Amino acid sequence: MVTNDVSFVEIETLRSREFLPAAKEALGSMIKEQGESKLIRPVFNWAGRNSLFPLHWGLACCAIEFAAAFGARWDAERFGVVPRSSPRQCDLLIVNGTVTWKVAHKLIALYEQMPEPKWVIAMGNCATGGGPFRTAYSVVPGVDKLVPVDVYIAGCPPRPEALLDGILRLEALIRERGA
Amino acid sequence: MEWNAEGVRAQLAAAGAPGILSVDPFDGAAARVRFSPESASALFPVLRDALGFTHLSTVGGIDWVERYEVFYLLWSDAAKRYLLLSADLDAKTPHIETASTVWPSANWHEREAWELVGIGFDHHPDLRHLLMPDGYSFHPLQRSFKLHEPEDLEVKVRHV
Ligand code: SF4
Repeated sequence: MVTNDVSFVEIETLRSREFLPAAKEALGSMIKEQGESKLIRPVFNWAGRNSLFPLHWGLACCAIEFAAAFGARWDAERFGVVPRSSPRQCDLLIVNGTVTWKVAHKLIALYEQMPEPKWVIAMGNCATGGGPFRTAYSVVPGVDKLVPVDVYIAGCPPRPEALLDGILRLEALIRERGA
Repeated sequence: MEWNAEGVRAQLAAAGAPGILSVDPFDGAAARVRFSPESASALFPVLRDALGFTHLSTVGGIDWVERYEVFYLLWSDAAKRYLLLSADLDAKTPHIETASTVWPSANWHEREAWELVGIGFDHHPDLRHLLMPDGYSFHPLQRSFKLHEPEDLEVKVRHV
């Protein structure tokens, strides 16, 4: 239980330029009271799961729904989800399309360039299990053959609502794991 | 001159094109020319220089089970005509001389025909995989290639 929650109430009324010093002070005093590991991990977990940055990487038709999810109508940024163009700035890989064997090692490279902690969402039937191309000669039958997947989203393609649901499920998962 | 089968036959004869087996009318092209694969390296420069087919649009292969066929679609800028070239290849080890020394655009097309149909192109400068990753060991457009269970097709992925 956080005892010193007065500082958090004050934070809500702060201007942005005053936020960092105030947050630093509040966290500093809480760390002093409660010890590092008890506080830092939950705070990082809270911050991480509410600001998932997916990699801006479109593979196939599912990428259209991925793009729609970030448009005005569905507006995934409500949930703190902002696509970034460099894997170094990302903690979420949304595999949104058909992965061929040719592109497989690029996908692994991108995944490995992302800093820990990181998560993977397999969006659509192709990424989940090869989809309609499962027996094709050039398609990876499921991206979990290449990288560990946390959330699978079914559909061909899944609607943006389904993607948002998957992201919220991932948030719940991160909270559950408490890492 | 006429850009039909007779006209092409006459031109080929006048230019002394070697290895011509038959010249037939063909839809959408001036003619369809069959040639024997052994004379490929002598025939290609004649087609480019004497007949003016300066552009090679595509190269492809077909597996007809008892034989392979390789075909070339040539385009003449001067005559505004296509010409379809084709040669039958042996079913065991299909191979033919590369066209990339005459038309550089053949390079990638031949890589694709080799990778998907398994036709070998002799003296090709760079016969590597084009659409498949390195180390892919199938020629998937051959008739003998079965749709596999995905597990059979696992490809070793190079970590970088
Ligand atoms: S699951 Fe369907 S919509 Fe998505 S990439 Fe595959 S084929 Fe396209």
